[in-house]
Amino acid sequence: MSILEINHIEKSFGQAHILRDISFEMEQGQTVAIIGSSGSGKTTLLRCINFLETPDSGTIRVNGDVILDAAVDKNLTDKEKRDRRLHFGMVFQSFNLFPQYTALENVTLARKLMAREREDYKANKKAINQEIDAIGEELLRQIGLYERKDYYPHQLSGGQQQRVAIARALALEPDILCFDEPTSALDPELTGEVLKVIRSLADKNMTMIIVTHEMAFARDVADKVIFMDEGVIVEMGDSNEVINNPKQERTKQFLSRYTNEGM
Amino acid sequence: MSQIITQFPIVFEALNVGFLQTLKLFIITLVGAIPLGLVICLGSMSKIKPLKAITKVFVWIIRGTPLMIQLLIVYYFPGLALNNPVWGGGEEGRFLAASVSFIINYACYFSEIYRGGIQSIPVGQDEAGMVLGMTKSQTFFKVKLLQMVKKIVPPMSNEVITLVKDTSLSRIIALQEIIWAGQAFLKGSQGISGAIWPLFFTGIYYLIFSGILTVLFAKLEKKLDFFR
Amino acid sequence: MKKLVSCALVAVMALSMVACGSSKNVASDSEYVKNNGKLVVGITDFAPMDYKDDAGNWIGFDADMAAAFADSLGVEVEFVEIDWDNKVLELDGKTIDCVWNGMTLTDEVKSAMDCSNAYCNNAQVVVVKSEVADQYQTVESVKDLTFAVEAGSAGEAEVTALGINCTPVKQQSDAVMEVAAGTSDAAAIDALMAAAMVGEGTGYADLTYTVSLNSEEYGVGFRKGSDLVSALNDFLKASYEDGTMMATAEKYGVQASIIEQ
Repeated sequence: MSILEINHIEKSFGQAHILRDISFEMEQGQTVAIIGSSGSGKTTLLRCINFLETPDSGTIRVNGDVILDAAVDKNLTDKEKRDRRLHFGMVFQSFNLFPQYTALENVTLARKLMAREREDYKANKKAINQEIDAIGEELLRQIGLYERKDYYPHQLSGGQQQRVAIARALALEPDILCFDEPTSALDPELTGEVLKVIRSLADKNMTMIIVTHEMAFARDVADKVIFMDEGVIVEMGDSNEVINNPKQERTKQFLSRYTNEGM
Repeated sequence: MSQIITQFPIVFEALNVGFLQTLKLFIITLVGAIPLGLVICLGSMSKIKPLKAITKVFVWIIRGTPLMIQLLIVYYFPGLALNNPVWGGGEEGRFLAASVSFIINYACYFSEIYRGGIQSIPVGQDEAGMVLGMTKSQTFFKVKLLQMVKKIVPPMSNEVITLVKDTSLSRIIALQEIIWAGQAFLKGSQGISGAIWPLFFTGIYYLIFSGILTVLFAKLEKKLDFFR
Repeated sequence: MKKLVSCALVAVMALSMVACGSSKNVASDSEYVKNNGKLVVGITDFAPMDYKDDAGNWIGFDADMAAAFADSLGVEVEFVEIDWDNKVLELDGKTIDCVWNGMTLTDEVKSAMDCSNAYCNNAQVVVVKSEVADQYQTVESVKDLTFAVEAGSAGEAEVTALGINCTPVKQQSDAVMEVAAGTSDAAAIDALMAAAMVGEGTGYADLTYTVSLNSEEYGVGFRKGSDLVSALNDFLKASYEDGTMMATAEKYGVQASIIEQ
């Protein structure tokens, strides 16, 4: 059974038809890269999956359960959206770290807030928070920033901030981790460290969807590549196949822009 | 000069009494207007269209008319038009009427500052809260509030220092604040008449008080300097 | 400033006219005062008529008479310092019940309030610097001076009637300050006030007052239609006849100005 199954997603903003009949699925432990030029709808697709936008029609299933059916879930309450989106983690292009919290606090905040809803919270407050701190520290160690755990975001480089943002998303143990152009806001010399972290997650079989402009990275890390243009999926398949031997004319045209960049 | 020295103890005491009234009005205005401003701010950003419209018109009226006229209307209107002088003629009534006028006026100014503060926070902060499963109120109180406070400290400090000086407007309804107390010695009070210096001396009170506030606000700004 | 206040006044008045109309048939003013149990007297700090003693109690010729009048009505007296500009507002807004503060009975005052009989004589006098005082002993001689006067005061009315240009300021003491500061040549203020404020032993030792522009009279103002006017007139007559009024006047040194009732 597929871990994620997207069926016939449609989304318009006013007159602009952004997503047209988007369907795909992915397996546990897979990494899917979504490529395409800006305005192709790939970011909107990711936002629909994360409940930041509500599709006009279509369904989303996780592990076979329907978590969104646009036909019936037009007006989800905040609480319902909250519960359902926890299947997913999200890493933003512009990091969106909380500036007034340290790296460690950024990673642990949401989990600590969630722990307050536990029935045994009052009795074991201290132990629970210590446990969450330990988890946070371990995550920071994994991304190589344990020494910077007490730094505030503005004291970190862009690449370091994005790595903290990845740890923050991982702290909630999502089924699927989504990246929206995670390196686009970074200086070129800083992209490497972020890609390295994502690559290490792939090696641990984390299920991930990555919207990216890094073609070489998509080819090497992703199991599957989806090429989108003007709101439709033009081509989809094994990453080596799609990037090295595209079948569709539009895919070839798009990829030709990247061939000079030492892919 | 020797006259000033003999007059000084009497004048000093009278000015202190007046300044106490100024200080009381200042504090009560802040205590009332800071939370009321948030209520008005939420109203002016409400998704309920009529509520939003009413709040916006209210803020327009209050910010668009002089505080002095608002003081006159709040204090005299009930007796003049409704034949029911709710405030009474005594000092307490005048103080209450002045407090109400100042709280409403400053709450409207504060609400606009708050609105600017809230709207200046990038939408990414909301989205980050959402995808991390935080509720709207958690995102507001745990994430956005402090960022907002940091943004509004400079304009608020401006407004609060203006308030120190605006309190003197309350003497239009004969609230005996410090300038009133200083002026009393011009025409004659407690055996001192024609003394000009007490009126100018009140300026020193304002200067010291706003100086203290400036230092406090600078400290607060520094305290919030740990993040950007 | 002044214009603003008058605009506000007009606005408040207009509103009050709209809203009032219906609510005129309430109890008489004396019943209103008796129900409240107090007579609220609007005053300013104005020696020797209304001022504070060392203990902070209001005394003075007017204050003592007002207290006695309240006593005769069987109510307490409450003194409230008001902004003189707003005396009509205060009366009509019922935040005070009368204006009893050495108020000159001008046509403006008489048209805005119902006033008692005159009880005290006064004059508007010209305040100038002592060093030039002997040049300005006649009305003719002061016509070329620039004047500061209290806005809406009897002094303003007199000076304007003489065709002299003048600067209206907020209160009589401000007018005197203008002269002291040299921003105006002269001020026209109450004789009683001038006696207390300028000359040897005051804060304005180098100022003095010269010519009287008129003679005028003090009275007490009530709301339009108030039945307290006749009550006060009766009280003034009675206290003049039994000598208490003169006794009070002597206490504050104004006996020469008292008008027979």
